[in-house]
Amino acid sequence: MHERQLEIEEAVVPAARGRAIVITSGKGGVGKTTTTANLGTALAMRGARVALVDADIGLRNLDIVLGLESRVKHHLLDVIEGGVTLEEALVPSKYNESLVLLAAAQHREKDEVPTEAMTALIERLRERFDYVLVDCPAGIEHGFRNAIAGAQEAIVVCTPEVSAVRDVDRVIGLLGNRFKPQLIVNRLRPQLVKRGKMLSVEDVNAILRLPLLGVIADEPEIIITTNKGEPLALRRDGATGAAYHAMAAKIAGEDVEAPMVEVRESFFGRLGAFFGGKA
Amino acid sequence: MERSSSFPIVKKKVGNVSTRRIVVTSGKGGVGKTTTTANLGAALAMRGHRVVLVDADIGLRNLDLVLGLEKRIVFDIVEVAEGRCQLRQALIKDKRFESLAILPAAQTREKEALTAEQFAGVIAGLDEFADFVLIDCPAGIETGFRNAVAGAKEALVVTTPEVSAIRDADRVIGKLLEVPMPISLIVNRLRPEMVRSGDMLAVEDVCEVLNATLVGVVPDDEEIIDTTNRGEPIVLDESNRLRTIYEKIARRLEGEDIPITSFEKPTFFKRLIGAITTG
Repeated sequence: MHERQLEIEEAVVPAARGRAIVITSGKGGVGKTTTTANLGTALAMRGARVALVDADIGLRNLDIVLGLESRVKHHLLDVIEGGVTLEEALVPSKYNESLVLLAAAQHREKDEVPTEAMTALIERLRERFDYVLVDCPAGIEHGFRNAIAGAQEAIVVCTPEVSAVRDVDRVIGLLGNRFKPQLIVNRLRPQLVKRGKMLSVEDVNAILRLPLLGVIADEPEIIITTNKGEPLALRRDGATGAAYHAMAAKIAGEDVEAPMVEVRESFFGRLGAFFGGKA
Repeated sequence: MERSSSFPIVKKKVGNVSTRRIVVTSGKGGVGKTTTTANLGAALAMRGHRVVLVDADIGLRNLDLVLGLEKRIVFDIVEVAEGRCQLRQALIKDKRFESLAILPAAQTREKEALTAEQFAGVIAGLDEFADFVLIDCPAGIETGFRNAVAGAKEALVVTTPEVSAIRDADRVIGKLLEVPMPISLIVNRLRPEMVRSGDMLAVEDVCEVLNATLVGVVPDDEEIIDTTNRGEPIVLDESNRLRTIYEKIARRLEGEDIPITSFEKPTFFKRLIGAITTG
């Protein structure tokens, strides 16, 4: 009887599993957590079931960016160690019912999480969700190795800075061929690019040579929404919100152009060009 | 070797107790640890101190790039620890300054390549070359962090006025207090106009949360990205306001009592409290 029931369940559960994507960069502070929160929000707004996993044990922040810090009761290690069920640990988003967070433990260490346990946890999440986005910690230590362990795909976030490009290049090397990494160039300041004071998207990708998922501009709004715990992607109207939605569509397999940031000429730039300056 | 012989070697007694060994740390990545290390080190060197900057970010080194010394690396800290070269051979002198040198990290090794004892041993060896040793700590709180802290006698915590950065800094300060060691604080990348509009935390708010002595407030400056990409520390630019700011931080580290310039106008509410408490 019991066996029979199992057979039926197996027949009902679709074979297709969700996609586990790790968001990584090597360098810290380039926007991994913000990207995870916004892409997750945009994917959920398309109707997908999305789980966001904070893999930064000891230095968690994804809960803050999603405005869920006071709702976190249990964390990833509680689940791995069997203290609570997965259902109990998942914190639903305030804004979207198909988006949930699995928080990191704040007062534990990354080396307390065995890599196999992390892989098994991501597998379990893939059974229930269409997308599992893993927010990777900075660096390339144990935390990084755990975060990539359960994923099949990677999105690497890079800012247009020489140091970030070098770190990302190192991470791409460590990822190898398994993860089909795609690139997001984050925090581009078009005016600085225009004035030759910042690397362009082409400069960055001349070194990294990855399929470009999209480009996000450096906007004060990002800091504001992050501090407030309201991901910018909740609104589709602004340029940045729209860019996250375009990237989500691309991830979902739609044939859309990678969102770019328009390098507008500033008034002074044009003035300079007019007078034969090097603008 | 020209490189090593050009380094000013002042023979000091072994066990120079006056050498300040300071770890520059933050928890969160991308808040400006490396930029702070480079500029503060340069400012200290310009004030006549012998300074060695140590890149503790094994596998993801960047201090060499920020100072434009990447092409001059021959040996690294792991090779020193493994006895494959002399400490003096691994030091790269920055010729733009009287007495500044860096000890680079290994790029193709793991943080676990060194134990905390090995790391601390190398740092202790720098006493004969330096009055100030600044250790550029990797992001996170894993092995790399523990090694960097093991080599230091005091800490300089860098944070930005963002909720996530402050939470990470608080976690790091907790760990440093366990050692224990004296802790100074730099609030980096402040945008005064955002503080005024209520979109960014004020320095006062940051200090209220964090248990450390404020030694500097560094405003966000778009020139930093460009100078960093070009490998020229901003303190070399006489016209940039950050030069004075880093110089003052250097003097505060020397023990001088210089009031911290406020980039914020006090709000009405704060002035009211001030009036009540001082009256």
